Amino acid sequence: MSHQAVKELELDSLQSLSQAQVGCDFMIRALDGPECDRLRNLGFCETLQVRKLANGRNLICSVCGTRLAVSSELAEQIKVTPVSPS
Amino acid sequence: MESPNETVALAGNPNAGKTTLFNALCGASAKVGNYGGVTVEVKKGEFFTPHGRRLELIDLPGTFSLEGGSPDQQLASEVLSGRHEGHSRPDLVVCVLDASNLERHLQLALEILELGIPAIVALNMVDVAEKAGLRLDPVKLSEELGVPVVPIQANRGKGLTELKQAMRHPFPAAPEVVHWDKDNAESRRAFGLKTAELAARRATLHSTNLSDRLDAVLLHPVFGWVCFIAIMFALFWSIFSFAGIPMGWIESLQESLTGAVETRMAEGDLRDLLTQGIIGGVGAVVIFLPQILLLFFFIGLLESSGYMARAAFLMDGVMGRAGLSGKAFLPLLSSYACAIPGVMATRTIDSAKERLVTIFVAPWMSCSARLPVYLLLVPMLLGGSEGGATQALVFLAIYVLGTLTAFVVARILRGRLGPDEVKSHFLLELPPYRLPQWSYIFRHVLERGWSFLRKAGTFILALMILLWAATTYPKLESDDPAEVMAHTVVGRISDFIEPVVKPLGFDGRTGTAILTSFAAREVFVGSMAQLFRVEVAEGEEEQETRAHIRERLSAETWADGRPMFGPAAVISLLIFYVYALQCLPTSAVVAREAGSWKWAVGQFFFMMVFAVLASLIVYQGARLFGLA
Repeated sequence: MSHQAVKELELDSLQSLSQAQVGCDFMIRALDGPECDRLRNLGFCETLQVRKLANGRNLICSVCGTRLAVSSELAEQIKVTPVSPS
Repeated sequence: MESPNETVALAGNPNAGKTTLFNALCGASAKVGNYGGVTVEVKKGEFFTPHGRRLELIDLPGTFSLEGGSPDQQLASEVLSGRHEGHSRPDLVVCVLDASNLERHLQLALEILELGIPAIVALNMVDVAEKAGLRLDPVKLSEELGVPVVPIQANRGKGLTELKQAMRHPFPAAPEVVHWDKDNAESRRAFGLKTAELAARRATLHSTNLSDRLDAVLLHPVFGWVCFIAIMFALFWSIFSFAGIPMGWIESLQESLTGAVETRMAEGDLRDLLTQGIIGGVGAVVIFLPQILLLFFFIGLLESSGYMARAAFLMDGVMGRAGLSGKAFLPLLSSYACAIPGVMATRTIDSAKERLVTIFVAPWMSCSARLPVYLLLVPMLLGGSEGGATQALVFLAIYVLGTLTAFVVARILRGRLGPDEVKSHFLLELPPYRLPQWSYIFRHVLERGWSFLRKAGTFILALMILLWAATTYPKLESDDPAEVMAHTVVGRISDFIEPVVKPLGFDGRTGTAILTSFAAREVFVGSMAQLFRVEVAEGEEEQETRAHIRERLSAETWADGRPMFGPAAVISLLIFYVYALQCLPTSAVVAREAGSWKWAVGQFFFMMVFAVLASLIVYQGARLFGLA
């Protein structure tokens, strides 16, 4: 299996921020979509933690202590995994 | 004094506090607010270093990156890289970073350091960061970045002396990029995150604070809307009811001035000019000062507290139905105060087509210049009395009418312009709630009040004197006031335009007052006072000027005995003012922002024709139902 195919499979197995559960913390694992650079400039970088605060047409999340309202379409491009409470 | 030859630029992410620092350094009062995108153009000022060196300071719009972004963000990037025609490359850059958000704000700072310009980092809002549990290490940050780092609190003026010291000559050497690869965004990002972790350690990643608790209510799908509607209603209620108290004081002053002139001067043209032309005409406009001050105060309060961004978030769904996004809400709400800053604020909108549509409909948000007209006319629909919840509701309805029409037109226009080439998504920072900056709000409100008074004392005064002359000369020796009026310049103009405005329910004098209000809408009230020869009788305490005008207007009849200002005519007049674009400065700004005079001219004629047709339909419709 090619490296690209492995990466795609890996991305598919991750959940997006728009699918994630409200009130939980997540680790940003990958950004997948045309708006990647813009999202990174706004602080959605891989390895950073994000907390989802509300769902909706635009969801609210907190990254590095900053609350951001992000359209659910854009949140679809942010792939996350849950962070287990320490 | 020779002009400074060195320029210092303030750069940083949106809502990092650049303009607050600019105001603190230059003693200026440029517009600030607790949300990103308040500054959309380059602002200039001057300040002195502790060694007496004069430097030019430029405040750049906030940007997340030096690549791409909305027009205001591109402007910052062009100035910093020396690609902007109007500005040379700055000699020193002060990167203003929000200390509580270093992970995000450092990315732009690193991009700026790559430009090879001498730089200083101003670590702003250190108090907020420390309150949030961050342990800041400015020395470590300075070591990592290779530039001086100064912790400051721009809103309280703390750390400014140290910052000015850091700007002393010679400027620090341009930083050398050694820790990351300039051409690799990934390497820059990794270095930024590592440095942020070293220089600002977070005790806990997410702790619920006051802003979170407030947002739980204010952004709630149900309670959020209840709060939004309550805030908007409180805003309108206070403007249209509470303002009555200070307005009474202005009226008393105006009446005592008229009384003083009338007792000291003999009857004649000069006394008429002073009492009717100057005191009556200008006074009829100045009376609205309290309302205008209150409107700017409330908008300042919303901007300063951080609620504006929440309102934009809530409104995104509603704006979506009009083909716009929540980001268009901020410019449109600003347009309720004045369309000019509103049109300029559209620079924060990413999509060019959405921006054009927002510019096109922004003048339909009833601005403060329309207030005097509404305040004169609305009580005529309510039996002459002013104040109270009914009046506030009618005012709200007028504002909603303008807004709804704007949304419908925006939707049609947005559909015709087609989809964006690059799809833009809603993305908005929700800043933490902060206590309003009272000193800034009051200074801003006073400035707006002074600008209104200056306009009343110069432009409107000149217009009132001209109008008085046009309603007085040429004179005719007759006892019939109607005959005397018909002989004057205005009488002749009125005769000429009456056939045009009569289908809308107006006579020639009202038509003339509308004509004069193309110079400035608020002139309408003064013009009506002069054209209908409203006199303020001596010694009539607490008798309001507008009540005089209203009484006079209510008594006016057409030749066949029908009242001239029945409900249909008043509503038709109100509708005309809701829709007509009577503001040349707005058209000039639209031409500049849309990049073409065609848009400005098209907008002017479209709104004009729309206003005339709407008035015509309302008045003729009312006549058909026997209401006129």
